[in-house]
Formats: sequence, structure tokens, C-alpha cells
Amino acid sequence: MSSANETAGSIGARRPAILYGVIALVSLIGLADSIYLTVEHLSGRSVRCTITSGCSEVLSSPYATVRGFPLAGLGALAYFVVFSLATLAAFGYRFVNNLLTLIVAAMFLTTLWLLYLQAFVIHHFCQFCLLSALVTSTLTALVIYVQLKTERGCTRT
Amino acid sequence: MKRILPFVIIAFVLGAGLMTARYLQRASSETPAAPSPTAGASPVATPINPGEAGAEPAHALGAAKAPVTLEEFGDFECPPCGVLHPILKSLAGEYGSAKLRIIFREYPLVPNHAHALAAARAAEAAGLQGRFWEMHDIIYEHQKDWHEAFDVRPIFEGYAKTIGLDVAQFAQDNTSEIVERRIFLDGKRAHSLGVQGTPTVFLNGKEVPFQSLAPDKLKELINNELAAHQ
Repeated sequence: MSSANETAGSIGARRPAILYGVIALVSLIGLADSIYLTVEHLSGRSVRCTITSGCSEVLSSPYATVRGFPLAGLGALAYFVVFSLATLAAFGYRFVNNLLTLIVAAMFLTTLWLLYLQAFVIHHFCQFCLLSALVTSTLTALVIYVQLKTERGCTRT
Repeated sequence: MKRILPFVIIAFVLGAGLMTARYLQRASSETPAAPSPTAGASPVATPINPGEAGAEPAHALGAAKAPVTLEEFGDFECPPCGVLHPILKSLAGEYGSAKLRIIFREYPLVPNHAHALAAARAAEAAGLQGRFWEMHDIIYEHQKDWHEAFDVRPIFEGYAKTIGLDVAQFAQDNTSEIVERRIFLDGKRAHSLGVQGTPTVFLNGKEVPFQSLAPDKLKELINNELAAHQ
């Protein structure tokens, strides 16, 4: 019985565990990026872009805060939650999967909105925001891949 | 153990993240760990570093013997500097030249701000005709108008005409060695004082944390300095 359970538990488990580990690592990049931006925002300095030229325009725009709270801070919180959920999922806590997918989907939609604002409203791009957009897009792709690859077993219908 | 391990990893990352944020915040603000016991009521306690001299004479509003001097390192294209401009202007009016002296130093953030150097040159060139502050004000007040422009020279020449400059002389001075040298010397002073970005403001030689550049907080700092000098 025990052996049967272990076998059932191991089906399709290896690949998602590694993928969740990758998701956790990728989210750390986003976490580092958004921590940097949050600190710079709170210290209030004009962040220097080295690749693009619109960091201070983007980061001092009204869209950089939500009710006075730095948007980058919310990003750091979101990345930390993604990291935590992905780590738990990698260690077999499967109940967090749906929550992880939901949060990454929300982050991706927010990213699309922020890219729109940079391109069509502020007319400047901030390289640190673009890095965050890249990280979120990667997380979205990974989460979709995990969902597709996870073996779901037989269903009655 | 395997059930606990993810929580240990999460706690570790949380701790590392908080420590990194704290380190970055310290590195960014360069505020002292503890206030000087002699600082009294003044919340600004950064040790005074005289730094390099900067361009002389400095562009200053207010009496040389004013008890409080605010020295700003600014970039005309930097949006937060544009926000600070009316704040400093209203403080200058409120306290008067006998109490408050405001110095402006050029710190154009090139190449990030494409027109910052041209704006600094325009202000310095106006300064050669004795109209630095007029040009300083008009450039900041119209920051959004020229910031997106491809060629800012005609715009700045228009401002020169508006404030009554000899435009031909202004255009010639824009590329003069004396203007270049003044910007260079202000930049050298900025580096010697550890200026990282703009706006950076020193109150009687002590760096004011950016968070304290809000009107109320600045007033509080100025009032404390005035009280300390009485």
C-alpha cells in the first residue's frame, strides 16, 4: 500500500518540483530589482538609467505610487509571495498551485498595464521596470508550462 | 525536516531581503547611524565635509552672512528638481535674504538626461549677463515644454530673449570655456561631497535626506538652524 502511494506520488512529480524551483529562483531576480527600486523611491533620488533614459521620468510619475505607497514595494511583496508559494510547491505543498497561478496572472496583467503606461502615457522606459516586466513574463510562461506538464490523472468524464 | 525546509528557506530569503533593503537604504541616504549629541534639536547630523570649492562666485540668492545656507545640486531636466524649484522659491520669499541664502550648483546627469547639459550651459551663459536666476526659473518652470524637444537651442534662445538677454552673446557664451569650466567645477564639488543624484541639498553643509525636502520638513530644519544660531 505504502509502495503504491509512493509510486502514485512520484508520477509527474520530478519535473514540476524542478520547475517550481526555477520559478522561485526567477522570482528572486524580480525581488532584488523591486527592493532596489523601492529603496531608491523612498530615498527619493533620481534613479540613473544606464541603458534606457527614462528612469527618473517613470519613477517620479504619479503612476509610481498607489495611494502614497511605492508601486515597487508592492512588486517586492508580490515577488516574495511568488517565491514563497513556488518554494512550498517545490517541496510538495500542492495546495498552493492555484494561488500561485492566480497571483502570477495578476502580476502579468499589471505588467501589461505598466508597459502601456510607459509606452503611451509617460513616453519613457525605465530599465529596472523593463527587467521586472521580463521577470514577470518569464514567470507567467513557466507557470503556464507547469500547468500544462502537470499530470492530472484520470477523470470520470 | 523536509516539511520544515521550505519555511526555513522562505524565512532566510525574507531576512536577506530586509537586510539588503536596509543596506541599500543606508548606502543611498548616507545618513549617520546616530545623531551627534551636540546637534541638539537639529535632525540633520551628517558631519560637515567642506568639499572642493565649486564654481566661484557661486550663484546665490540671499545675504552671504545669512545664518542658513541651502546649497542645491540640481539638474534642470530632473523632474524631482523641477518639483523642488517652487518649494525653494517660496522658502526664499518666506524667510527673506537676511535669514536664508540659497546656492545653486550645476549637476547635469548626462547622458541620462539628454538636454540637461544644454540647460546647464544656458543658465550659466545667462549668468554671464547677470541673469542666472531668471534663466534658472524659466528653464525649471517650462521643464515639460523643452524636455521632449529634439533641439533645445532655439527654445533656450527664446527664453534668453524673454528675460532680456543679448541673444547673440548668449548663443556665443553657451559654448564658451568659462561656462564649461563652471559646470565642471560644480561637478567636481558634487563628487567631493559624495553627491549621488539630484536634487541633493545641503543645509549649512549637512546633507538633507530627500524625504526632508518636503516644504514642512524643510521649514522645520531651517527653523531649527535659525534657533541654533540665535
